[in-house]
Amino acid sequence: MSALVKPLLVQEAYEDLLQRSLSRIPCDLGRLLYLASTRDYNTGNYHHDGLADRFSVKVARSALEIAHRQAFYKVAALSLEGLVRDLAAYLESSRENPEEFLRTWQRLEPYRIAIPMEVNPTVARLFASNVRLALAVLRLRQESTHSDR
Amino acid sequence: MGVWGALAGAIVLLLVLLAWVRADAPSKDSRSAWGASLQEPGESVEICPPEIVSQIFSADDLKFVAGFESPSLERLFRRERTAVGLHWVQETSAIISRIMRRHLEASRLSVDLEISTEARIFLQYARLKLNCGVLFVLIGLLGPQRLAGTALHGDRLTQRIGEVLREFQTAAQLREPDGAGSL
Repeated sequence: MSALVKPLLVQEAYEDLLQRSLSRIPCDLGRLLYLASTRDYNTGNYHHDGLADRFSVKVARSALEIAHRQAFYKVAALSLEGLVRDLAAYLESSRENPEEFLRTWQRLEPYRIAIPMEVNPTVARLFASNVRLALAVLRLRQESTHSDR
Repeated sequence: MGVWGALAGAIVLLLVLLAWVRADAPSKDSRSAWGASLQEPGESVEICPPEIVSQIFSADDLKFVAGFESPSLERLFRRERTAVGLHWVQETSAIISRIMRRHLEASRLSVDLEISTEARIFLQYARLKLNCGVLFVLIGLLGPQRLAGTALHGDRLTQRIGEVLREFQTAAQLREPDGAGSL
């Protein structure tokens, strides 16, 4: 974070982000993916139009970066059971076909994009590994539901 | 019995030494985007938080997976968690080496070295490295779930030695205002 960005303003922008945008998302994984989507793939810089208008581009960038890291650590620290629940809630909120969703996530591993830059490598590994396991659990549940019918 | 015991001891020692060497060598994956920050010289590395270490070595996730009674899911879980556990050991071992390297660099420039303090620090370092080597072998053999106590103890010691050496270096810098002892 730039030393020129005032911490109080960043704090204010962060709280604004929590209230206006993040509180509407029903699960931790959803919040994490939303925050990761505000990051430019080429530069790694974060951008959010509404937040930048209310504060400034730099303040918004810092607030988004902090929120992204916090959301990431929260998801990475979830137990496997907690993550399975969260992933199921995200799947439900996406309104996609569950079978297709799980297949695509297992093949493309889009959740890797949710990892912030310069995060501890072991935490990044645990996160990706746990999502892989949570997907396998949901797939197993889905298969057993199909076979019960 | 004596010959077999010696042979078994030699094999265990060899495994520990191999694990030690492997734990020090940067793995293929740690040079990728995951581990880039760890391998950059001079760059600060965020230490794995203790709650994440507990999570890696926790038996609760295994219990949850076992509830599905699916051998393939359990195999996947064991494989995944073992890989994460081994990665943590490698990372911790690399951090310990780096802390020690920085300490040695600072010690070389220090004018009032205390041999007994240096010996204590070196013994602590050797103990931590051995702990990493043993953990590496045991995680590979047993999986991380049975080793939570050892891992958390090693993690606490690593964090403690890091703090002590930081304090030691700060004190050395204060004693040498020209900055000769700085890292």
